[in-house]
Amino acid sequence: MHPLLARPARLLGVVILAALFGVPLAWVLHVLTPRPWPAALLFAVPMQVAFAFIALSAWWVCRRHSVLEGISGRAVSAQLVAALQASAIWAAIGAPWSVLLVRTVPGYDLSRLDILRDLGVILLAGVPLYLLSAVAHYLYLSIEASHAAQRRVLETEVTAREAELRALRAQLNPHFLFNSLNSINALVGTDPEGARRMCEGLGDFLRRTLALGARDSVTLGEELALVERYLGIEQVRFGDRLRVERAVDPQATACQVPPLLLQPLVENAIKHGIQDLLEGGAVRIEARVEGAQLRVVVENPVDPEAPSRRGEGVGLANVRRRLEVFGARDAHLSSVLAGEKFRVTLLLPAIAGAGGTRD
Amino acid sequence: MTEPMRVVLVDDEAPARSLLREYLAAHPDVQVVAECANGFEAVKRIGEQAPDLVFLDIQMPKLDGFEVLELLEPAPAVIFCTAYDEYALQAFEVHAVDYLLKPFGRERLADALERARERRALAAARVAGPAAVAGTPSAGELANAARGPGRYAERIVVRDGAQVHVIPVERIEYVEAQDDYVAIHEQGGAAAKSHLKHQPLAELAESLDPARFVRVHRSYLLNVERIARIELLAKDQRVAVLADGRQLPVSRSGHDRLKELLG
Repeated sequence: MHPLLARPARLLGVVILAALFGVPLAWVLHVLTPRPWPAALLFAVPMQVAFAFIALSAWWVCRRHSVLEGISGRAVSAQLVAALQASAIWAAIGAPWSVLLVRTVPGYDLSRLDILRDLGVILLAGVPLYLLSAVAHYLYLSIEASHAAQRRVLETEVTAREAELRALRAQLNPHFLFNSLNSINALVGTDPEGARRMCEGLGDFLRRTLALGARDSVTLGEELALVERYLGIEQVRFGDRLRVERAVDPQATACQVPPLLLQPLVENAIKHGIQDLLEGGAVRIEARVEGAQLRVVVENPVDPEAPSRRGEGVGLANVRRRLEVFGARDAHLSSVLAGEKFRVTLLLPAIAGAGGTRD
Repeated sequence: MTEPMRVVLVDDEAPARSLLREYLAAHPDVQVVAECANGFEAVKRIGEQAPDLVFLDIQMPKLDGFEVLELLEPAPAVIFCTAYDEYALQAFEVHAVDYLLKPFGRERLADALERARERRALAAARVAGPAAVAGTPSAGELANAARGPGRYAERIVVRDGAQVHVIPVERIEYVEAQDDYVAIHEQGGAAAKSHLKHQPLAELAESLDPARFVRVHRSYLLNVERIARIELLAKDQRVAVLADGRQLPVSRSGHDRLKELLG
C-alpha cells in the first residue's frame, strides 16, 4: 500500500496540493484558449486531483526500479514509459470530462478544436508532472532506506550489548557464589587457613573474570588459568567427587580466543555431570592445535538415570551467544552424549596471540 | 525438654555438613544421629533412625530433597538448606519447618531450631498418633502440590524395602492399579521390571503429563508412545495393543480421552 494512501489525513493533503496545481494548469489553458477563469478552473482542478492519483502509481514503479545503487538505463526507460502511460490515461480521462462540461455547464463553450488543444496540453504536461512525482518518490524511498539502515545498525548494537550483559551475568552464577560463601563459612570454624585460601581464590577468580570479560580477545592460556581458579574453589565443595584430567598442548595455550568461553563449559560439566553422580567423576579438559584449527574439548561423565536434558541447556546457549557477540563466524560448538559421557567440542581458527599482554 | 532432639543432616557437600554440625554443637538438646551425602542414604538412614528433624539439601545427586521426602512415610520434620531461593514456595507446600538460604549464620539456624522445638512440643501435646490427624495430605499429594500447576514429574521414585528405584517417566510403559498400590511397568520386553508403589492411581496420574500418559481404563494409565494400535473386539469393547504385543483394556471414556489426544 502506498504510504500516502494509508492515512486519511495524508490523503487529504494530497488532494489539496493537487488542487493547487490546478491553478497554473488553468492559467496555461486560459492563455492558449481564452475562456472565463471559473470555466478554466472547473476543468483544471478536478483534472489535477485525478492526476495526483495517477502519479502516485510512481511508488510501485520506483520500488521496482530502485536507484539506491545508482541510476540504471532500465530504471530511466521504465519511468519514461510509465510517464507516457500516465499522461495518456490522463488525457483519456480529460476527453469525457471536457465533453461533459460543455454539455452540462451553461457558459462553458468550447469548440471541438479547443477541446483537442486542451487535451494536447494535458498530454504534454502529464510527462513532466509524472516525472516530478517519480523524483519525489525516489527521494522518499532513499530517506526511508537510510532510516531503516540506521535502525538496523542500532538494533544490532542493542542485541550485541544485551547478549554481552546476559553472558556476563551468567558468568557470575549467583548459586556458585552462595555455595562458595557457605563453604568459606564452614571452613572458618574447622580450617581457618583453608578459609583464607578460599577467600583469596574466590577474589582472584572474580577479578580475573572481570578483567578477561573486559577484553575482546584473550589467550587460551589465560582462559585455562581462570578455569584452574574456578576448579580450586569447586574442589573444596566437592572434595574427592571432583577429579580433573588435563591434556593441553602448549602450542594451544598461545591461541587467541574470545574471553570467558572455557569456564562456563567446565561449570556446565560439574553442574550437569559431577553433581548428579554419587561418586562424582573426572572432568576432562583437552586443547590442541590441529592444522589451522584450535580444538578444545570438555568431557564429563553423566548419570544415565538422570532425566534427559532437553536442548543443550543454559550454559551452552550462553557460550554460543558469546561466540556470536564476538563475531566468531568460523567458530563451531557441538555437543554429544556418547554412552555415559557428555562431550562439548569447540573449534576455533588457531590464531597465535602476542602472549596475551594486549589490553 | 528432657528427650534430646535427634537430627539427621543431608547434604552432598562435606563443608556444608560440617558447618551444620559445628553450629548444632552449641545446642545441647540437639543430637546428630546421622550424616548423609546423598538422597539414597538419606532415605535409608531417616527410615532407620526416625529422627525428630532433618536438615535437607535440595540439589543432590540421584534423588533431590523433595523426592527424599516423598519416599518417607511418615514425613519427618524438615528444615531445607539450599543456595537456591526458587524452591521456597515448594518447601512451604511440603510443610517445611524452615528454609535456610546458604550462606546462613548461627542466629538464623537458632531461629529455625526454635521453630522446630515449638512444632515438636505442639505435636507431643496433640496426644493423637500421627496417622490420626484427619485430612493430612499424603506425600504424593504434597509432591504434586509442590511441583506446581502445569509442571509434571520427569521421574518416579519408588521405595522397595531398603532399595530406592528412580524411573524416568519415558521408560514407563503403563501403570496398573492394584488395590492401594500401583504397579509401574517399565519398558524392556520380557525382562521388563515392574515396581509397586503405595499410591492411588489417580494421584500418580495427576503428577504425569496428560499429553504423554492417558487413563485408558479405571485401572490402567498408559504411555501413549507405546501404543501400537487400538483394536475393536466387540461393540464398545476395545483393547490397546502395545509395541510388544501386550493388550490392555480400553474403557469407553478411556477411548474418548485417547481420541481427544491423538485426534
